[in-house]
Amino acid sequence: MEGHQRNLYLYERFNARVLGVSRDDVITLKYWAKGLDLTFPLLSNVTSFLGVSVDAQPEGKPIFSRRTIIIDKKGVIRYVRDGSPVFKDILLFLKKLNQEGGKP
Amino acid sequence: MKRKSLLILSLFFATVWLSGCATFETEKKAVPYRLTQQGTVIWEDELEFVPPPPDWKLLRVETGENDINFGFVRPDPGDFPSLTTFAYDEEPFGCSTRFEDREKEFFKRFLFNAILHFQILEKKKVQVVGGEGLAVTVEGKDPVKKEKVRGKVIFAKRGDRVVGFYITQWRSLDGTYDPAAFDIFDKFVSSFKFLKKSFYETL
Repeated sequence: MEGHQRNLYLYERFNARVLGVSRDDVITLKYWAKGLDLTFPLLSNVTSFLGVSVDAQPEGKPIFSRRTIIIDKKGVIRYVRDGSPVFKDILLFLKKLNQEGGKP
Repeated sequence: MKRKSLLILSLFFATVWLSGCATFETEKKAVPYRLTQQGTVIWEDELEFVPPPPDWKLLRVETGENDINFGFVRPDPGDFPSLTTFAYDEEPFGCSTRFEDREKEFFKRFLFNAILHFQILEKKKVQVVGGEGLAVTVEGKDPVKKEKVRGKVIFAKRGDRVVGFYITQWRSLDGTYDPAAFDIFDKFVSSFKFLKKSFYETL
């Protein structure tokens, strides 16, 4: 999450916005965001439907798998990666996607 | 209308928390490390610095990414935990690009696992890698484990981003610090050069 916070100025440059989604409750996320000085939105999805919709909800587990997803302006998922985010990969992909932006 | 891409990141609290804790591990594969005739080290054709004496061992910081993070470690005379480590970190804890803010963010998590309360001994502006930086000297004590650590953190800029150099020297509570190790660290930092733009500067 800190990595995303550090990269916000680059996401802005590439017309991207970042959201975090977790099954943790709102109060937990507020404290966690404050602790890490995060300024981007964290969504509390206790009922897990968002995780289910992007296949990040392992069956029978109370938590989401770590997954990074990039969705374009048409709502099409363009990038999926499990595990820890690879920030350089994400930035290069967003740069490419932004360059494509002139030709929707 | 401006084009907006949306990045949704799913996260698991505990996993994310753990991922923030960089760990030192000895290098298992060949490192992109070459010596020059002038006695400096060129790292990945990107950085140049004066290495410490040979009794310091190279460490890599495993981050799961390709950011440049490395350091050196030396066991010191005396009982555990006598050890000195220093490192260069492209992504020190925190997010701010202002040194004063970054320092506060950094020390929320610096040596987090050790659960120490740090006292700032000195804070001053310095010149580092061709620009202004901030050097902070701290000491932390653990009266339960009867250990103490003295650290110095130097925040510098590489492009828009803050990078960090830090040294920690652990001792038993009644042990004596070795200032010579801090001199070696200072020499390492003052010799440090960026030979080319960082990945982030090229985007």
